[in-house]
Amino acid sequence: MKSIISLFTGKWAGRSFLSPTVCILLALTIFPFFFSLWLTFSKVSFIGGVNIQFVGLRNWARLFEDERFYNAISNTLIIVFVAVSMEYLLGLGLAILLSNSKIKGRGFFRILYLTPMMLAPIAVGYMGRMMFNFNRGPVNHLLRQVGFPPVEWLTNTQTAIYSIIMMDIWQWTPLMFLILFAGLETIPSGFFEAARVDGASRWQLFRYIIFPLLIPASLAAILIRVLETFKVIDIIYIMTGGGPGISTETMTLFGYSLGLNAFDLVYGSTIAFSLFVIVLVVSIVLLLLTRRFQEQ
Amino acid sequence: MCKKEKYFRFRLCLLLLAAILFGLNSLMIPQASGQKRFDGIEITVFTQPPPFIAKPVQMFRADWEKKTGAKVKLITAPWAELYPKMISSFTMGAKKYDIIIFPAAWLADFAGNNFLVPLDDFIAKDKELAWNDILPVYRERICSYAGEIWAVPMDGDNHIFYYRKDALDNLEYQKKFKDKYGYALAPPKTWKQHREIAEFFNGWDWDGDGRLEYGVVEAMRKDDQAYWTFFSRAAAYVSIPGQPGGLFFDPNTMEPLINSPGHVKALEDWIKVKQFGVPGVVNMDSGEIRNVFTIGDASMAIDWGDIGVMADTSPESTIKGQCGYTIMPGTTRVWDYKKQTWAEFPNGNQAPYLAFGGWLAAIDAKSDHIEAAYDFISFLGKPENSYISVTTPETGFNPCRKMHFDRLAGWFGYGFVNPKDYLGAIEATIAHDNVQPDLRIPGTARYFEALDPQLAMALAGNKTAKEALDAVAKEWKRITEDIGKDAQLKAYRASLGLLIK
Repeated sequence: MKSIISLFTGKWAGRSFLSPTVCILLALTIFPFFFSLWLTFSKVSFIGGVNIQFVGLRNWARLFEDERFYNAISNTLIIVFVAVSMEYLLGLGLAILLSNSKIKGRGFFRILYLTPMMLAPIAVGYMGRMMFNFNRGPVNHLLRQVGFPPVEWLTNTQTAIYSIIMMDIWQWTPLMFLILFAGLETIPSGFFEAARVDGASRWQLFRYIIFPLLIPASLAAILIRVLETFKVIDIIYIMTGGGPGISTETMTLFGYSLGLNAFDLVYGSTIAFSLFVIVLVVSIVLLLLTRRFQEQ
Repeated sequence: MCKKEKYFRFRLCLLLLAAILFGLNSLMIPQASGQKRFDGIEITVFTQPPPFIAKPVQMFRADWEKKTGAKVKLITAPWAELYPKMISSFTMGAKKYDIIIFPAAWLADFAGNNFLVPLDDFIAKDKELAWNDILPVYRERICSYAGEIWAVPMDGDNHIFYYRKDALDNLEYQKKFKDKYGYALAPPKTWKQHREIAEFFNGWDWDGDGRLEYGVVEAMRKDDQAYWTFFSRAAAYVSIPGQPGGLFFDPNTMEPLINSPGHVKALEDWIKVKQFGVPGVVNMDSGEIRNVFTIGDASMAIDWGDIGVMADTSPESTIKGQCGYTIMPGTTRVWDYKKQTWAEFPNGNQAPYLAFGGWLAAIDAKSDHIEAAYDFISFLGKPENSYISVTTPETGFNPCRKMHFDRLAGWFGYGFVNPKDYLGAIEATIAHDNVQPDLRIPGTARYFEALDPQLAMALAGNKTAKEALDAVAKEWKRITEDIGKDAQLKAYRASLGLLIK
């Protein structure tokens, strides 16, 4: 009895109290993670029950020979780079604009700009699909009204990916704005006053005060968006389904098609892990950059 | 004993009698409900979310529950989760679902592993189901695997061909067409005629509604149902009457035939007709093509029964009564995979394709309530209920029984203008001598998933038809090796009704 009580009072107390959480965490996250990793080196058959057979690097070799894999990486990187860059620039611009106390109705605009972020990505995907519809979409209707020919936004291999990027930018610029605006609010007003006394121009205020002091917030915002954009699937699934052809197929959509549509679990896991490795590398680089700037 | 006391005793006797009668009555009630066959049993039915496919379960479960005393629990999951959930429940022996309602293409995966209950004995004893009223192609081919019956068809699915009667029957257009192409304008008998009609009706306002109309609309979008449209086009190019197996694999060697000259020609034709399609057709899914056709933007389309239903019954349709129906066009040359040459068919070769094959109901072999589950399937599929299902909006069920075609009243009630023509096209497809069933072997989803992106790339102009189909053949070989070539060969031959070597 005494020994049981000592488990909850002595030096083991902390571990005892933590153990349920650790067990749940192991069961729900760590085990599936390593099981999926194991699947990437295996072959699964359902004949006569579930049979898992070790096959070495066969699934990985198949991945590196697969043209869809390289296409998916390329599309994912284009979306991440273009969308996140544009979201950052627009978010920064909006944050600086709305931090100006002379603008009337700032509070209203702040709430208005946040609205897209509150929508479900599926809804945004359907909006994009309707907006960019060739025959009946309002975007082409406007183009026709001003004398331009309609554009095959979603059905041309060259333009489809940029239509998706536009919807992503529309939805997620508000998040950038929110983080950067909060960052701007933390800069002491004395810095600006002192600079103005010294005769600094608006550009110099931005170049030497705002931008450097916003770098930690910027890197945090970029890191969050990069990680999220690597995993984007819903908007693309609804707007183009990865097409035309495979011109908008990203890593997540590629993994979804193989893993769930074709029920090729091992190859689906291999694709998922390859995305995990890419995201891990990018995250480490961004975190190192953040740390470096914070130290400075 | 005074009068008052007598009266009191009399009332006491009456009270006792009433109590006895009440007691007996309460004893009788469970006895009566015990006479219901499946009192206290709950069966689970698993399929996709309502309305489509699940709606008939919702419509008929209350009647069945009243009749049998059992309860029906409906569990649903989105399309993409159906297969994983079904197969994981079977392989783990979880007994999560007593009845599954699933696409016919998965039957080989389930029946081939004995995950389902063979239904031959049940069906033989079942008078209510009227098994022989079900069309032979569903009864004998779609629901059977390796000589046994594993499921009951709830829905019949096949592609038919749609055209605008106001375009093709117009005398002025008929004259212009004949002047240009040298033959009479009519529903196309070959894919060549189809392309020329598409060209003729492409890009001008032929129905006078002030908007441009186009030649064709067909589902070409990746991750949708484009491969079924492709096989509907390819079937006539590779299926010689009486020679089974030309559409997917060589039934003697299990070598993929997907990159045969016939398949390549079919894909080249499909790529060519894209230029006469509604703008954006290359990325349209089945839902979109149905809307586009029924609002009057195209002269021809390929689809399951859905366009026919929407054209006459949807409030958004602008073509009510203007939709024509026929079987799929054919070809005058067919690739003979055995002789490795083109065979000539001057009068044309048609080979309608049972794309998808329909939704089937089957029972988990480990279910604790097999009898009750079968009884519910029989109730759902019996002629009168089945007829209500196929003539009710949003059930997703299409005709699969002889009586569905014989009784027209329900179809008129549904809103059809020319149900006889619509049903005639479906019947002609199903009953055709050279009708081609869908692929039904383990791993069907993997084979189709390998084909899908390659078709999409060819249609988008990223690859030639030959390059795309060669890549598919390579992948199909790998999948066959992965699952086991011998086992796949046996399964493929079984699915074609051929002798298993």
